[in-house]
Amino acid sequence: MPPLMGIEFLCRVSDVLSDYLGGLNEDVIKDNFVIVYELLDEMIDNGFPLTTEPNILREMIAPPNIVSKVLSVVTGNSSNVSDTLPGATGSCIPWRAADPKYANNEVYVDLVEEMDAVINRDGALVKCEVYGEVRVNSHLSGLPDLTLSFANPSILDDVRFHPCVRFRPWESHQILSFVPPDGEFKLMSYRVKKLKSTPIYVKPQLSSDAGKCRVNVLVGIRNDHGKTIDSITLQFQLPPCILSADLTSNTGTVNILGNKTCSWSIGRIPKDKTPSLSGTLVLESELERLHVFPTFRVGFKIMGVALSGLQIDKLDLKTAPSRLYKGFRALTRAGEFEVRS
Amino acid sequence: MAPPAQSQRSQSPSQPSGKSEVSDLKLQLRQLAGSRAPGVDDSKRELFKKVISYMTIGIDVSSLFGEMVMCSATSDIVLKKMCYLYVGNYAKVNPDLALLTINFLQRDCHDQDPMIRGLALRSLCSLRVANLVEYLVGPLGSGLKDSNSYVRMVAVIGVLKLYHISASTCVDADFPSTLKHLMLNDSDTQVVANCLSALQEIWSAEASTSEEASREREALISKLVIYYLLNRIKEFSEWAQCLVLELVTKYVPSESSEIFDIMNLLEDRLQHANGAVVLATVKVFLQLTLSMTDVHQQVYERIKAPLLTLVSSGSPEQSYAVLSHLHLLVMRAPYVFSSDYKHFYCQYNEPSYVKRLKLEMLTAVANESNTYEIVTELCEYAANVDIPIARESIRAVGKIALQQYDVNAIVDRLLQFLEMEKDYVTAEALVLVKDLLRKYPQWSHDCIAVVGNISSKNVQEPKAKAALIWMLGEYSQDMQDAPYILESLVENWDEEHSAEVRLHLLTAVMKCFFKRPPETQSALGAALAAGVADFHQDVHDRALFYYRILRYNVSVAERVVNPPKQAVSVFADTQSSEIKDRIFDEFNSLSVLYQKPSYMFTDKEHRGPLEFADEIGNLSIGEATDNVVSSQRVEENDKDLLLTTAEKEETRAGHSQQASFGIDDLLGLGMPAVPNVPSPPQLKLNTKAALDPSTFQQKWRQLPIALSQELLLSPQAVAALTAPQALLRHMQSHSIHCIASGGQSPNFKFFFFAQKYEESSNYLVECIINTSSGKAQVKIKAEDQSTSQAFSTLFESALSKFGTP
Repeated sequence: MPPLMGIEFLCRVSDVLSDYLGGLNEDVIKDNFVIVYELLDEMIDNGFPLTTEPNILREMIAPPNIVSKVLSVVTGNSSNVSDTLPGATGSCIPWRAADPKYANNEVYVDLVEEMDAVINRDGALVKCEVYGEVRVNSHLSGLPDLTLSFANPSILDDVRFHPCVRFRPWESHQILSFVPPDGEFKLMSYRVKKLKSTPIYVKPQLSSDAGKCRVNVLVGIRNDHGKTIDSITLQFQLPPCILSADLTSNTGTVNILGNKTCSWSIGRIPKDKTPSLSGTLVLESELERLHVFPTFRVGFKIMGVALSGLQIDKLDLKTAPSRLYKGFRALTRAGEFEVRS
Repeated sequence: MAPPAQSQRSQSPSQPSGKSEVSDLKLQLRQLAGSRAPGVDDSKRELFKKVISYMTIGIDVSSLFGEMVMCSATSDIVLKKMCYLYVGNYAKVNPDLALLTINFLQRDCHDQDPMIRGLALRSLCSLRVANLVEYLVGPLGSGLKDSNSYVRMVAVIGVLKLYHISASTCVDADFPSTLKHLMLNDSDTQVVANCLSALQEIWSAEASTSEEASREREALISKLVIYYLLNRIKEFSEWAQCLVLELVTKYVPSESSEIFDIMNLLEDRLQHANGAVVLATVKVFLQLTLSMTDVHQQVYERIKAPLLTLVSSGSPEQSYAVLSHLHLLVMRAPYVFSSDYKHFYCQYNEPSYVKRLKLEMLTAVANESNTYEIVTELCEYAANVDIPIARESIRAVGKIALQQYDVNAIVDRLLQFLEMEKDYVTAEALVLVKDLLRKYPQWSHDCIAVVGNISSKNVQEPKAKAALIWMLGEYSQDMQDAPYILESLVENWDEEHSAEVRLHLLTAVMKCFFKRPPETQSALGAALAAGVADFHQDVHDRALFYYRILRYNVSVAERVVNPPKQAVSVFADTQSSEIKDRIFDEFNSLSVLYQKPSYMFTDKEHRGPLEFADEIGNLSIGEATDNVVSSQRVEENDKDLLLTTAEKEETRAGHSQQASFGIDDLLGLGMPAVPNVPSPPQLKLNTKAALDPSTFQQKWRQLPIALSQELLLSPQAVAALTAPQALLRHMQSHSIHCIASGGQSPNFKFFFFAQKYEESSNYLVECIINTSSGKAQVKIKAEDQSTSQAFSTLFESALSKFGTP
């Protein structure tokens, strides 16, 4: 059997279960073992994966939510299985449940990007790329046919689509044409590589002699995107040969955890000063100098901008209902953002 | 199987019977069975839940069978499902009871609700009771013709289940051809997919006996079927797509235009969100174009981006699976990936199994244009906190150097490593410099200058020390101090534990002697004397050989020991290209992850003894250092330890025992191998003692602890105990056998046993050794309590001799 099929399937099972049960751990499974059993029964039979599409499963087996509990009290009918088989199993659009109806037609598109970067001790960018996802949350009546286009699709290096995306329009015009599943889903994921700059800089300086190591780290904003950078954090693992550390910062808080992880949470960078962390590390007695330098892992969040520069041009609905609300958001987070020292 | 809810477990503590609860349930079920009051389904559900939770914790509730079946006459699907689960669980062990259920399951197969029809059919086929197959044929037949696709889908899998219970019934009822018809005509793709997988299984199994079946199996990969499936591929679920794509890889197109048609059709599958589909498509592309070299290259270019994206999204497990496949492709066509080398850079908190693969790929893609960047990056890892990865990356630098791109810069880097003053970095670098010099003797000047500054005292690892000594011998004319360093090494001959190092030392002194005779003569004499007296056979032999050849003719000796050497051009590849091709043919399977063709891990004769499970060892260590653990847990852990290590130990013990007996017999000794044990003579141990792990385990549990003591280890013993195996062999020579061992420095744990000579009275020992404190905690259990003290003395003296040559 293909190994990835097994792994993907297990990931899907865990997604579905945590979707149903609102979390996944031993106790939750024990408390809901009947539902878990029912779900597994539908998802796999005799070793073949069958239905894993959450929308269809939800029609066959109702999730244990408050609504159904209330309903069961009111109506006295507690069957959490719908009476009819889902129509979608036979339809060509397996991801969409039959004909939902909404009073408010809404569709939200989020660009969520994660920046992975490796920066050397001299500040040179070793590697910098963005992994992004287009997440759509749609509440639309009937069978809506959407098209989404980008202002600059050429910057995308590689894309992966939800099965609902039609391939031809993308190939010829870089337009996403699709009939969305109901609710929230990942429409596409993409990668943009060879970015030239990072939004913030981190300058670590470590100098070590006579059994001590002086640390000084500066953090600042490099390119002003006009958006504030939030929840900046810096984490690094102290080398095992360090006996004690005395680190202070002029902004934010510094914590040294039990496993010798030092975490510095800065939050937002103040206007008037550059955040800096400084202090000394005391090495084990027989060591003169420090040989292993820590790697700093940086976290941040920027609302309202996709750092790859990807921009959504427009979103159209073929058969527009009377009132359609469209919302767009963008967000960039640090993924694996590393600064070496 | 679903475990019970917490509350119910606390009600019924894990006693095996729970008789009163069961009879209680029986009564309640009986009351409800006839009732038609409103809300009765709810109370039934609670009861059913209880029954099933009892069932899953191992209480036998099969006596409720009749009541359960009576209660299942309901329209509530959840109740039905629980009942089916219950029935399915007990039918296998209770065929008589299963007969009872046939009736109601058959009735449910004609229910109005398709869901119930499907579920009943699935449960009916899952009973797996051989003498009930006759009842399956009817419902399956009508299920295959059902108007609802859900029922058909279940029925198709049911046919496969029937086939596994009774192949002849399945074939006689002509189900395979019905499935074939369904596969080619059904409107529902899941039904089609299930037919396909069922037919593949049935016909592959039948093919060995029936010619027709093998023809049918061939027909599955005919143009007709393949095109039919491919044209509908977008309608299939993602899992079914994998199945179809796997089938397509077996299809051999008759002309090249077909290949392009298929590839065009499947191109968008590379963009699928499911990694399994992407990988299956990649396999199709690679297999189809195998014979067309230039298209094959284009395929590499095309599949590169999707695979690289897959690596960077998803869990570490997913990326490892994809990386392993990329690794295979990179090894086949490194130049295609040489511009993407940055994707193989390691991230700080990636698991080390991912890092290791990436390092190998970085080594493979290095070429003229990117070597500088890659080596710079690898040097960063050399300072990594993760020591195994640091070592691995230094080795990678060396391998790149041996690929002869930009050697100049790399040699500088390697020499920098030597100056980093970290023991493991120095050690790895030394080994590499040695290899490098064998290939590029022209660099000797620069290297030797640096190597000469390294004090041999700072090099402890045998491999590195051997490399250093080799260089001292080979380049002794360039190194001022070479003879004197060698001399001091020879003086410390007895402290050198590694035979490999001693061998190298002998040869190096010889080489040095031919280059600088007056300075080396005394060292050579000392080395030969020490070598001849050495207890290691190889060292002894080599020393004797050198001594004799020197006596015979010095110039001949020089020609033998110090001939002019040719630079090594290519180092041997570890894996043959045939095996690599084999793995490539099995793309998208576990073979790629294991880096072995499938026959190596599926065929019995290729399966080696089980690898020693490190985590098991650690587990028992955790418990060993923790003194206040309840005895029950200790026993549980001990059980784990025994079970997993037993297989390996058994085989190993078998081998070494045989070997040592062979020698014993040869020398005509009927005695234990070490006769001078200062033990009380009344206790002799059986050299050929044998005990299987399960008996050991049983006895260990039964016997009381006869003696428990703490022994101090000598410093030599601590030094010798780098791995559990060292002590095993030592104790074996004292007729004390090891049955299981585990742990890593500084904590080791052993279970030993010994048998009284000519009596079958066993001694069992648990021995926990902490090398950092130099203490051993010993617990002895004996079947013959009166001799336990004598055995303990014996054990102590055996242990005290460990590490002394």
